Amino acid sequence: MQTVSRILPVLMCLTMLSSCASDAEKAPAADPNEKNSGSVFAMDTYITVTAYGENGEKGISAATKEIERLEKLWSVTDEGSEIYAADHAGGAEISISGETAELIRFAEEMHSRTNGALDISLYPVLSAWGFTTGKYRVPDDDEIAQLLGRTGVDRIKLGDNKLTLPKDMEIDLGAVAKGCAGDKAAAALKESGVECALLDLGGNIQTVGETKPDGSKWKIGIRDPNGEGSAATLEIGEGVVITSGGYERFFEQDGEIYRHILDPKTGKPADSGLVSATAIGREGRYCDALSTSLYVLGEEGAEKLWRESGDFDMVLIADDGSVTITEGIEDSFSLTIPAELKVLRR
Amino acid sequence: MITAAVLLGAGAWCVCLMMKPAGDTVIISQDGKELYRLDMGREPDRIIEVEYEGRRNVIEIKNGEIFMAEADCPDHICVETGKLRADTPIVCLPNRLVIEYEERGLDGTAR
Repeated sequence: MQTVSRILPVLMCLTMLSSCASDAEKAPAADPNEKNSGSVFAMDTYITVTAYGENGEKGISAATKEIERLEKLWSVTDEGSEIYAADHAGGAEISISGETAELIRFAEEMHSRTNGALDISLYPVLSAWGFTTGKYRVPDDDEIAQLLGRTGVDRIKLGDNKLTLPKDMEIDLGAVAKGCAGDKAAAALKESGVECALLDLGGNIQTVGETKPDGSKWKIGIRDPNGEGSAATLEIGEGVVITSGGYERFFEQDGEIYRHILDPKTGKPADSGLVSATAIGREGRYCDALSTSLYVLGEEGAEKLWRESGDFDMVLIADDGSVTITEGIEDSFSLTIPAELKVLRR
Repeated sequence: MITAAVLLGAGAWCVCLMMKPAGDTVIISQDGKELYRLDMGREPDRIIEVEYEGRRNVIEIKNGEIFMAEADCPDHICVETGKLRADTPIVCLPNRLVIEYEERGLDGTAR
């Protein structure tokens, strides 16, 4: 008891000291390096925006409004969205906005560049597996074959502001929408006078500004697919880092694990030997499309795409734990787990 | 003697506090509003219940780790997320609930 009565004042002093210290850490409001952050639930995920400087709050509000606007345009489940209208038009032609047309055109282009690995027409197959609702099941081969018959990006008829889908077809911009929203939210931040910001769209990282206010680069982790924390860190300027991994959504049935990224060729979870694929570049929609495609393509296909492209870098983590990166990020990349590292060079 | 022991104890406690890895504070928030701020180094095992529009989330703290034990949401992605990791928040979208570490030592984690 006596010990307690002696410890207590010491504890109280320490508590007071530490609370003073934490008060002092909070920067005064007039600081030009002031850090603001905001969050929004949209596009089926949790999005945070951190902006530095005096225009931060204004920028965050503009960015979140922009994301919410785009969600209304591109959501596959919102009955008011242009994508919902296209999916439920019963084969009729509908009018769409210029920016929706542009994103569909971009997805078509990525479909051909990735040799079909990116496919926005896969929605009926994804639904059958339950990945869109959480009501998971394993469709049999006949059902998958029949559903694959309803896909095919080449069946989309896209005019300037007109879109026609065959009656049995449904598209979903899920693989590019978040990335594109990142681009447009970054633009909204800049228009608000923000020079330095970071967007985290459910794990898609996009930065505004070559450095943080203190002059240091942005330090971005890449999730360790097999353990706790990060597998690697990357220092970037203004740009985008997007990872796709099988760990994001999966279910187990009869001892088998089924992961949410489907191979458009088989209609089944992609089995390419990769556990995660990260694309690093300048544009959100491009990196978003790439991360999914690289994951589906596997190491060999991803390397081929990288050699053909020349405008992105990548980090591939294979199911044997080995890590492959491209030469453009060699100096800014560090592993934080023990792993065999291979660097691809041109 | 007792004073010496107390000072030593307090000293050791200070060292412990300083050694503790940064980023041990977990924030539970709903619709962007902070509900709980937890120092995971000191949290006892306990259950926290949170309501949203009549739906319920049950958050459990056990052995210094935190996870969603139950949720009245259709998809249960938050429950399937398992224990909170430093780099990935536990998110229950339908109930607008987020459990995350305050400081991650990084500006962001691609995941």
